[in-house]
Amino acid sequence: MSDLYVITLEISRYDPDTNLSWIQSYQVEARGILRFVDVLRKINDEQDPTLAWASSCEHAQCGSCGIIVNGKPMLACELLVQNAVAEFNTHTFSLRPLNIAPVIRDLVVDLEKAYDKVHQIKPYLIKPAPPPEQGDEYRISPETVDKYVEATRCINCFCCATACISSHRHFLGPNATMANIVRLMDPRETAKEERMETLYREDGVYRCHTSRACSFVCPKEIDISHFLALGKEGRF
Amino acid sequence: MGEKLTIDSTLTCDVLVIGAGGAGLRAAARIAEKRPETKIIALTKVVSPQKSHTTTSQGGMAAVDPRDPEDRPLFHMFDTWKGSDCSADQNVIKKVCDLGWEEIVWLERHGMHFSRTEQGRVAKRPFGGHMLNFGEKKASRACFEADRTGKGIMDTVWNESLKYGVSFIGQCIATELLFNNGVCIGAVIFRYPEGKFIAMLAKATIMATGGNARMYLVTSNCRGNTGDGLAIALHAGLPLMDPEAVQFHPTGIVGPGILASEALRGEGAILRNKDEEPFMERYAPTAKDLAPRDLVSRAIMQEIREGRGLYHEGHRAQHVWLDLRHLPKEVHEKKLQEVCSFFKRFVGVDPQKDLCPVAPTAHYQMGGIPTNEFGEVQRDPNLIVPGLFACGEVAAASLHGLNRLGTNSMLELITMGSVTGDQVVAYLRDSEEPQGLPPDAGHIVFDQFSTYINSQGTESYAQIRDSLRTLMQEKVGIFRAEKPLIEAIEKLKELKEKATRIPPGTASLHANQDLWQVWELNNLITVSMTIAQGALARQESRGGHYREDYPARSDEFNYHTLVYMPRFGEIAFDKRPIDMSIFKAQGERYELFDYIERKY
Repeated sequence: MSDLYVITLEISRYDPDTNLSWIQSYQVEARGILRFVDVLRKINDEQDPTLAWASSCEHAQCGSCGIIVNGKPMLACELLVQNAVAEFNTHTFSLRPLNIAPVIRDLVVDLEKAYDKVHQIKPYLIKPAPPPEQGDEYRISPETVDKYVEATRCINCFCCATACISSHRHFLGPNATMANIVRLMDPRETAKEERMETLYREDGVYRCHTSRACSFVCPKEIDISHFLALGKEGRF
Repeated sequence: MGEKLTIDSTLTCDVLVIGAGGAGLRAAARIAEKRPETKIIALTKVVSPQKSHTTTSQGGMAAVDPRDPEDRPLFHMFDTWKGSDCSADQNVIKKVCDLGWEEIVWLERHGMHFSRTEQGRVAKRPFGGHMLNFGEKKASRACFEADRTGKGIMDTVWNESLKYGVSFIGQCIATELLFNNGVCIGAVIFRYPEGKFIAMLAKATIMATGGNARMYLVTSNCRGNTGDGLAIALHAGLPLMDPEAVQFHPTGIVGPGILASEALRGEGAILRNKDEEPFMERYAPTAKDLAPRDLVSRAIMQEIREGRGLYHEGHRAQHVWLDLRHLPKEVHEKKLQEVCSFFKRFVGVDPQKDLCPVAPTAHYQMGGIPTNEFGEVQRDPNLIVPGLFACGEVAAASLHGLNRLGTNSMLELITMGSVTGDQVVAYLRDSEEPQGLPPDAGHIVFDQFSTYINSQGTESYAQIRDSLRTLMQEKVGIFRAEKPLIEAIEKLKELKEKATRIPPGTASLHANQDLWQVWELNNLITVSMTIAQGALARQESRGGHYREDYPARSDEFNYHTLVYMPRFGEIAFDKRPIDMSIFKAQGERYELFDYIERKY
């Protein structure tokens, strides 16, 4: 477990001051149990303080550190060196920024812009059902919650949107679409018609080609395509 | 870089919320509900409020339904008082415990996905230090959304703020507060992507920047929890209250210290030492594994010190075991889905079959910017700062005193956020538009950034950061004593000085991660100094503050510490009395709200 690995990271760099892009290679010695965020920090500490990358919670709860590793979008905080070597069967890794928003510098993309799509589907209860007579919480059976609770675990890391084979320019994206479907399944939401209009509009759920790439890459292991299928069938 | 740093533009609003986490956005949503025409701007360091540290909270939010046949808000008040080691403020305890259920209902009606009982109601689970009948047996009081309650709360307040048209500015830091004749009129902010300074003018400013535990080597806190709000408050001449009160959560996952929720023990997990003995029975015969966090963390460290801990090869760190093997499959797969996955992902153990390695992790600051029970910031115990409010972890009202009970943090964020929102609405009635920028606006941050950008030094950012984190862990950690604290204070002065001699990686202001981190490092050193000074001055042990040279609580210290440090190292102390209003009201069982003995 405490094995030492020597890995090579080929990282996409972008300098907003000069508008230049290039690939830079870093060789790092790291214990197998370290996460890729630890490795990036190690590069900053020992080799290059200018390399920019994003993270926040660093344990897969916030979705700030998505990057593309050897073609697969994933969270840098969740990928241990030993697992990366095993999964990709190599010691060389290409690290690219997510492609769903403009790059700010190096591996940092402007997720604020990507969030626009989540905002568009109105993730809140648009028109909550009137409160129950008792004046306290709505009653929702655990069986009802179970139908959509997996989808509520989404952290909007945009790994699914990056992997999605439908162009993100023409599609709201798997995560935003799923957030809309959650509220369609939520018994407290009464604005179903408005939600369906969003769901079935030009950039809505029918842009999905059912490649299931979203479910395949989701770091939270949510079966996103299952929810999109429910959306296509109108089974909320 | 010869270029002169300047304010690029000025934005005005009614309310500026610095920190768009649970507390900040609960306040924003409350203001927007009550006064829809209010122009609110909420700032966050991360890209979206959804990515705030609040979202990592796991176990629950304590609240008693006043109609509950078994539990009562009064029991909750008592537990909070006793849990604080008799150092929380009783006016705040009463207010927050009384309001808790109303806020649960608010969250639920606004779309939070609480876990449910068979009857479809909000489900509850036991948590450390929460008990029925004044300490008799454990209470199920924590309302929860599986083990992602913080995410549920964060999503809800973010969504509601969005619904009401609150504007968000992400990827920015607030670098100094602005004042005009002692009235707070906003802040200067710096945006990461463009590298520009913006002056934000506001009638009311709410500080809700959260915690600071990144100065410890092992911490559950986000990368950005660097005490920024505390540092800018100190710069503005404001005090910090009880900075010495740092909470170490007993069960961080060995290595980086990722939180493994107390909900695990709430659901029945047991701590074991290397002989697999359930050692908490020796330290807290009644509450056992569900004793308050300060006691459990010290018990774990005691086991490790006396040779009954274990050593993790991969992470090169000592630990004890948390045993979840006997818990039902449903608990592993549904109720504790996230945390169980952390053990698998980060340390490669399967909690259904294996023992899980855990050790205490720096988790929470009980102290912070002093406020009254309405969230108004105090310059001293008798003087508020007009226009400036604070709530959430950055603030100390104080609900927690020197030790916080699990799930009381989510409760505080939401209730005090809401209370502060109400107070801001009242304040806005008579407040005036700020009249222009102070002429020296931005001078503090211009000075800080110029020092760094023009530095010719050869010090290493990483070395200073690592020295700080090791220093705080070893000398200002769970166990403290006079000599190491004095050594820590000397070393902090040295680190502060070294931090001015870090050479810049690039002089650009655009998305300069290094610049941003050096600024954060300065904040961490600043706040660390107040922690060490507060810890040195409090010659007793109380709650999360434990002095090996003064192991007992002492009535001499029945007060809150106030520390001022307008310039680094220039320390002044003051005191704030502990509010005893429940005791003084002489109501039911009031004698339990005196300075009672604390046993579990």
